[in-house]
Amino acid sequence: MKNTLVIAKSTFRQTIRDKILYGIVVFALIFLGSTVVLGSLSLGEEVFVIRNLGLAGIYIFGLIITIFLGATIVYDEVEKRTTYFLLSKPVSRADVVMGKFLGLLAAVSITTLLMLGAYLLTVVLSGGNFDYLSIGAVFLQIMEMAVLIAILILFSVFTTPLAATIYTILILYIGHLLPLIKQYALNSGLVAKYILTAVYYIFPNLEKFDIRNLIVHQIQVSFKESAISVGYAVIYVVLVVYLAQLLLNKKEL
Amino acid sequence: MILIKNISKTYDGITNAVDNLSLTIQSGSVFGFLGPNGAGKTTAIKMLVGINTPDAGSIMIGDESPLAVSTRENIGFMPEEPHFYDQLTGLEFLEFSSDLFKNSRGKSKTELEEILKKVNIYEARHSKIRTYSKGMKQRLGFAQAIVNDPTYIFLDEPLEGLDPIGRREIKKIIETIKEEGKTIFFNSHILADVEALCDQIGIIHKGRLIYSGPVNQFRKDMSLEDQFVKTIKSL
Ligand SMILES: Nc1ncnc2c1ncn2[C@@H]1O[C@H](COP(=O)(O)OP(=O)(O)OP(=O)(O)O)[C@@H](O)[C@H]1O
Ligand SMILES: [Mg+2]
Repeated sequence: MKNTLVIAKSTFRQTIRDKILYGIVVFALIFLGSTVVLGSLSLGEEVFVIRNLGLAGIYIFGLIITIFLGATIVYDEVEKRTTYFLLSKPVSRADVVMGKFLGLLAAVSITTLLMLGAYLLTVVLSGGNFDYLSIGAVFLQIMEMAVLIAILILFSVFTTPLAATIYTILILYIGHLLPLIKQYALNSGLVAKYILTAVYYIFPNLEKFDIRNLIVHQIQVSFKESAISVGYAVIYVVLVVYLAQLLLNKKEL
Repeated sequence: MILIKNISKTYDGITNAVDNLSLTIQSGSVFGFLGPNGAGKTTAIKMLVGINTPDAGSIMIGDESPLAVSTRENIGFMPEEPHFYDQLTGLEFLEFSSDLFKNSRGKSKTELEEILKKVNIYEARHSKIRTYSKGMKQRLGFAQAIVNDPTYIFLDEPLEGLDPIGRREIKKIIETIKEEGKTIFFNSHILADVEALCDQIGIIHKGRLIYSGPVNQFRKDMSLEDQFVKTIKSL
């Protein structure tokens, strides 16, 4: 356990110092600032537009950062043979996978919170109230990113960064369609129903983490519902990280 | 003592990278493992430090398998042409390495800096590894291999890519470590250095051991290099 944290710490340091990451974050902050301009174009709906665009922006840039950092993380470790340093020490392959996951999650969380800070400031400076509801939305977004990081790590154990990125975007797409798929399953024939139900349970239901629309309209989400989403993320992450570790165990290094 | 019994390893079920290798290395000795490119040296050393598992055979480091986490507490390993987390500084990387061992966790900065002084990259300790030269990386690789004060040290081509001064420095450290009673196993191509450092050598060719024993007994009246080339060519 201790070694998992040691690896997480160095992973965090390594990723947070990436120049390209700085570029993306600066771009995100500029975008968040620029929502003021876009807001001022909408007559009377300024704060609403800023919140709408702002939360969407945090999500999109959060996704870009997650995929950018996640797609290469274990791949690089194996390809550049830095794993040799780790595995010749009292470190298990499970430590490596979990350490990478936690380090990456920390890096994604920090950058997301930075964007959240910029967003909150923008809203207040544009005459809105302190948007405390958005904190919940961004917290659930981080849960979604945690699921995606786990999936990226799983893919990057056995495939290239490009392929990992493509697969993850595919899962992202399907994951947000799942509630529709479930609906559709209910009205389908028997075979289709089984297949669609299987899809529903295998893929991550990412819609659980999207409460941005509600928040923008000042609709509060119940604590219970949020807690279920968090629990869902935790279970999904644990399973995927465990699978990634099994695959890494099988891998010839 | 390091006891290697009939280990074999194939990649993708085809290449016999290591073929029925057996070796005994006495505690406190320096063992040089030689062989042409692709002979199986790296494959063997990776199994010795628990990175990979042999398909057959067994390895004992002391009384335990290197696959046991506790064995690796007492192992130091320097991979060939090491790559690092290049956004970390040399000191940060060494601290990271040190923290992965129970017995060296929480080593003070001064202690870590002492090691960096030993391998002569102290001046660059706060620079990112990204900016290190090949030789500096090699030195850092050596530093992390001794950070836990290991009983067994495995080095995969430790002198590769070093200038003559660096080579002399690292050889000197290997000698000091040897005097401390450590067991050192290293792969090398640089036969003059092997000759100077090793008590025993093993020679591997196409995965098979073709000699193991004292240096002198192998080279007879020739230099180690000449005898090595002659032997390999005759196979
Ligand atoms: N990951 C791998 N997949 C497939 N084959 C491999 C792999 N690693 C090594 N081999 C093969 O195994 C054999 C032994 O390789 P190894 O790296 O152990 O040699 P070596 O003695 O260390 O060579 P060098 O002196 O060049 O470092 C070679 O034929 C090599 O092609
Ligand atoms: Mg080699």
